Amino acid sequence: MALIECKNVALGYEHQLVATDINFQVENGDFLCIVGENGSGKSTLVKAILGLKETYSGHLHLGDGLLKKQIGYLPQQTTAQKDFPASVSEVVLSGCLPGKKGIFYSREQRRRAEENMQKLDILPLKSKCYRELSGGQQQRVLLARALCSTEKLLLLDEPVTGLDPLVTAEFYSLIAKINREFGITVLMVSHDLASCLGLATHILHMHGGGAFFGTVEAYRQSDIYRQFAEGSSHA
Amino acid sequence: MRELILFFTTHAFMQRALLVGVLISLCCALLGVSLVLKRFSMIGDGLSHVGFGALAIACAANVAPLYFSIPIVIAAAFLLLAMNERGRLKGDAAIALISTGALAVGVMVTSMTTGMNVDIYNYMFGSILAMSRGDVVLSVVLSAAVIVLFCVFYEEIFAVTFDESFAKATGTRVNAYNLLIALLTAVTIVVGMRMMGALLISSLIIFPTVTSMRVCKSFKRVVLTSVAVSVLCFVLGLVVSVRFEAPTGASVVCVNIFFLAMFSLLGAVLNLPRRSRLFPFRRALAAVIALLLVCGAALPFFGGAKTSKREKLSVVATSFAPYDFARAVCGKNADVTMLLSPGEEIHTFEPTPNDLVLLEQCDVFIYGGGESDAWADEILASLEDADKQIVRMMDVVELQQEQTLEGMEGEEEADEAYDEHVWTSVYGAQKIIAAVCDAVCKKDAAHAESYRANAAAYSAKLQTLDEAFFALAEKTRGQHFIVGDRFPFQYFMNRYGFSFFAAFPGCSAENDANPATVGFLADKARAEGIPVIFKVDLSSGAVAQTIAEAAGCRVETLYSCHVISAEDFESGETYLTLMERNLFALDAAIV
Repeated sequence: MALIECKNVALGYEHQLVATDINFQVENGDFLCIVGENGSGKSTLVKAILGLKETYSGHLHLGDGLLKKQIGYLPQQTTAQKDFPASVSEVVLSGCLPGKKGIFYSREQRRRAEENMQKLDILPLKSKCYRELSGGQQQRVLLARALCSTEKLLLLDEPVTGLDPLVTAEFYSLIAKINREFGITVLMVSHDLASCLGLATHILHMHGGGAFFGTVEAYRQSDIYRQFAEGSSHA
Repeated sequence: MRELILFFTTHAFMQRALLVGVLISLCCALLGVSLVLKRFSMIGDGLSHVGFGALAIACAANVAPLYFSIPIVIAAAFLLLAMNERGRLKGDAAIALISTGALAVGVMVTSMTTGMNVDIYNYMFGSILAMSRGDVVLSVVLSAAVIVLFCVFYEEIFAVTFDESFAKATGTRVNAYNLLIALLTAVTIVVGMRMMGALLISSLIIFPTVTSMRVCKSFKRVVLTSVAVSVLCFVLGLVVSVRFEAPTGASVVCVNIFFLAMFSLLGAVLNLPRRSRLFPFRRALAAVIALLLVCGAALPFFGGAKTSKREKLSVVATSFAPYDFARAVCGKNADVTMLLSPGEEIHTFEPTPNDLVLLEQCDVFIYGGGESDAWADEILASLEDADKQIVRMMDVVELQQEQTLEGMEGEEEADEAYDEHVWTSVYGAQKIIAAVCDAVCKKDAAHAESYRANAAAYSAKLQTLDEAFFALAEKTRGQHFIVGDRFPFQYFMNRYGFSFFAAFPGCSAENDANPATVGFLADKARAEGIPVIFKVDLSSGAVAQTIAEAAGCRVETLYSCHVISAEDFESGETYLTLMERNLFALDAAIV
């Protein structure tokens, strides 16, 4: 059974449709990149998947026993966070919140947070202050937090905004590793089409009204890719 | 030091102040961490203004201020959150709208009903020394609730504060926690207003968090340090206010400023970049700053110790006129103290802890008993041993209800209040002197003869003055005098049969006349050809000046003797000499 199944979904807010006819499914282990121009409904779709927004019509289904709050979400950073006095371990641990029973985190959850910091090579930064880290390190911390709240699916919303090219490349390879080695399904919203083609197994391209969905190979053959690629090479 | 501890342990009002203050500071620090980090710092400020507006309405409608304003402020907090949520009006604009709006409504309601009375002043600047048993209970319950909720939901509050969208995505009920924080903030602010004043309470929310953020690197440490800093600053502020006779609220904020400065320096030193030349010395520098901080914090405990040795009779008077009477009666046989400092306005007077101690320990206490002395009634009621003579001037002189003169602003409905400026007629002053003399004689029979002789001599001088005023009244032939200010001269006017026009009633602390009043008084001055517009002692005289310019006259001062300027006090002016000035000033204002 698919992890996410999206059938004829239409999205919008306050009686205004943003996107219609969205059809796609995500299987265990997929890497789906969501691309498209500004205003094509990418972030609305993210909200719908997280259960923060109702779909206008159609079916959006989480399968395989996945609960909405078990999606590992990496939101866009806010300005307030940039000078927030919190230690790295406090931030990572807060990813365990959905599984918390009682007042404090369990020993099991603390171990899990440590493991995820280990996986992302940020364990040495554990007691550092979040606001003193570089942009790339901050993003790794938030990724570790997202990993704490999921075992199956990561949802990344424009994760490389503001990072320099070298750090961006590092971050992409980290996500690829998470996807391949840890077997975690990844959904990533991005502007960076070229990198997406190298990383993803599937592409969802949203464009005013409709959406293309298919494997990367199928996408490369599609009209919409050709138009898009031509458009960007002309510019 | 020992004396200071004694001071706190022997006075019930200090213990209540300490307890309530520590609890409120603790709540403010906990809530402040979340509010400041969420960029909601100004919510405290906004809510305190709403609280002020609600209090003004409560005072006007004569309902219990706390029970009325708590629900209103909670509603305002929810409204602010909702406005922020909808996104139409962003945080700062919404807060500014609500806060200034509420302030305007409060000022409007106040000016149309009671005037800026003492209750409202207390809520603006705080009166921590007048904490009642009810305030203590309320703050204990409130702070218990805040602490328990904060501990139980600590992890959730961290998640919601750090990253609302992540918390929402992982199924945390973000709105519920926001509401909870808003609710607790609203209640804390209303209770804290009583102590710190509406204008300063939000500083307790903001300062400790900002201070600890300078140095701390984890959320948990920020929380713990904020609480420690907040409580410590409060206690130090209270000590400062005892030692330097300063208002408590402002002292607490000043101590907070000092801590913020020291922590900022400390943070800067600890975060010196490696390439800086000072880097090798950063530990030493940090130690120096820490030492400075400790020394600064210890400072108010040392020096300036006051030992109160008492051999003579101690007489305390609230304002200038009774002080002058007691001074004349007692001569050198007693220590006579005026609570109001020379140059201080009575309507904004707030007793310091030392004033209260003076009051507690004195043998004879003389006060007016009107609205501006409401605090004294409260303290007197709470004093356990009542072995002192109390002269309430309003009990000595036949009272007159406050009249509204033609054209005067405010108090539309006939206010039942009695005018408290009973000493402004010389006849009233003589009665008060007699009462003071009786009281002093009862406490100090040994010097009774000298007291009686002094009283008789002063009274005789006043007798001459009394007759001079009657003679002057003959001369005026029904002409009006114009006071472009508050009008505390009702007893004076009625005794001698003068006719007055005035801008405001006697006790209103307003100095913002409406155009109709100014126009009316200027027209009268022009119509009768009156050459002088009077202002009252210590007033800025702005309104009188406006009228004088409009009517082409000059401004002179009439002395109410309620207060006295610092220069006049230095040069030894008395009730008698000030009233003589009035005599000349009125004579010069005759057409």
